[in-house]
Parts: sequence; structure tokens; C-alpha cells
Amino acid sequence: MIVHTINKVSALGLCDNLVAEDDKIILLEDGVYLGLQSLPFSVFAIRCDVDARGLRGLLAAQTEVIDYDDFVHLCTEADKVCSWF
Amino acid sequence: MNFAIVVHGAPYSSEACLSALKFARAVLESGHSINRVFFYHDGVHTANSLIAPPQDEAPISEQWQEFGIGNNIELIACIASCLRRGVMDETEANRYEKSGSNLASGFTISGLGQLIDASISADRVVTFGV
Amino acid sequence: MSSILFVFSRPPHGSINAQEGLDALLMGSAFTTCSVLFVGDGLMQLVSGQSTDDLGTKNFSLSFGALKDYGVTGIACSEPDLVARGLNKDDFLIEVETLNAAGMQAFIRNHDKVLNF
Repeated sequence: MIVHTINKVSALGLCDNLVAEDDKIILLEDGVYLGLQSLPFSVFAIRCDVDARGLRGLLAAQTEVIDYDDFVHLCTEADKVCSWF
Repeated sequence: MNFAIVVHGAPYSSEACLSALKFARAVLESGHSINRVFFYHDGVHTANSLIAPPQDEAPISEQWQEFGIGNNIELIACIASCLRRGVMDETEANRYEKSGSNLASGFTISGLGQLIDASISADRVVTFGV
Repeated sequence: MSSILFVFSRPPHGSINAQEGLDALLMGSAFTTCSVLFVGDGLMQLVSGQSTDDLGTKNFSLSFGALKDYGVTGIACSEPDLVARGLNKDDFLIEVETLNAAGMQAFIRNHDKVLNF
């Protein structure tokens, strides 16, 4: 399993066909706007970025809000981390 | 587990520098370690001691300094990126005959080899880009 | 020794990201097994005939020819991104392997670390 971080909406276009079935996506910074829509991946979004942008009640049901310690934990579970920006 | 953290973004210009700090703190709070934080691209601006943000904004560079010094973690600023952007320690300022140096304490200027070495030796490498 | 995959996704010249990414790749190849994957507008780094004389930036594209000498043998690009830009491999400065989605996923899996630029 690979963790892919995405920090802006346009960066999804760089990696959407590189994400394997069991990979996980972490949205941070402006990447959290991607959490508004349903995506065909396992998607997490960083809480402080979600809250700062007023998105808490607006996220798609599948977007799971996490904190930085969860981010770290997901990295430890992954084989590697790939950052898209 | 041992982490290498790479920062590409300048404080205030992008959020990357702040995100990386939050991540770095969470790594230690989770009981893991950090072998090195490598500042590359505009990330080297973090090491500029002349940054003076308004009082009601977080002193991001100082927070990095405190994090590095307080936890004895290497904060390396890439020398090539630094020289292009005017971040210098005394040695480099003298070498290039500049009027002053501005490297913040807690940071060290070193080469790209430090990025590669950290990436190889860490269990995980996480980049905060812009 | 960990192998490192460098992923280049930025076009050249508009920012220094691409040039500093290549610097990191060349340094990395001195230490360990390194490969490179070009995705998105990163493919534009490879286009031949770049001339920066009038722009005043460094034409670092010339350094791509040295990758093989540095021992970087895994050089690949995204096939979907190549097609999307109306390019083909003849437009490139160097020999590049094209990978489909499954190929790129395997390429990433087969390296220990990934550094994105």
C-alpha cells in the first residue's frame, strides 16, 4: 500500500492513474477541496485544513477527516509515501 | 520508525512549510524519529533569520528553529538553493563577499547529498511540495 | 541500499523546480540506484530543441543526455500524458520508456523511496 498526498486540486491529474486499488490518498492544504467530491479511492483529509476552509459540513461522505498523528500512522502502514503537488 | 522530511515551500508563501512542521511534531509525538529535515527549493527561506512576520501571525521559522534545537534534529538547508535565494552562513557570505550572513541558528547549510543520504537511510521519506 | 524513484511533474523554465529536481537526481545517482518517471507537464522537460539563449535561464535539458553516464537506466514517462499532449517519443532528447497506468504503478512499487519534484 502506498500513501499519496495531494496538496492542490490540479495535482490529482498527475496521479489519478498511478493510484493502485489498495493505495490511500491524503488530502492536505488546498488539496482538501478534492474532498468535496466522491473519488474512486480511499480518501482522507487533514482536519485543520478542512476546518480552516470551512469545509467540515461540505465534504463527501467517503472523505474521512484525520489529524496529523493519523497521517503519520498511515505513513507507517504504507510501503512508501508519494507526494503530489 | 525513522522519517526523513523534505520541505519545498517558503514560510507564508505556501502552506507546505507549516504542514511539514505539524507533520514533524506528530512524528515525534507518535514515538517515531526523524533523521533529518531537508529544506530544498524555496523551502530554504525558512532558514532566513531576517524573517519578521506581523505579531499576530505565527513565527514559522522560529518554530522550526525551536523544534530542531529542542529535539536535536538536523535542519539542513540545501546550499545550491540557499545561494540562489540569498540565504547564507558566515562562511558562504565571506566566500561570495556579501554584506552579511542570515542563516538562523538551528539550521545548517549543506549539500544535496544530505537529501539522498536521508532518503536512503530513513524508513519513510515524506515531501511537502508547492 | 534503497533505490529511489524521482518523479518529475513540472514543465521546464517557468519555475526552477524542474532544474533543481534534475540536480537532485544526478546527485542521487552517485549514491544509489535511481530511476526517473516523467508525468504531466514534466514530460515537457524532455522535448528536444529547447533554446534558452534569449530567455536567460540555463538550458538544463542538455544534461538529460548524461543520465545514462550517471547510471540512471530506468527512464520512463506516462503514456497517457504523452498522448494527451500530442507528443511521441521522437520529440524527446533521449530514449524513454513509455508506461501505461499499470506499468507506472509497478514502477513505483519496485522502488524503495519516491522523491517528487
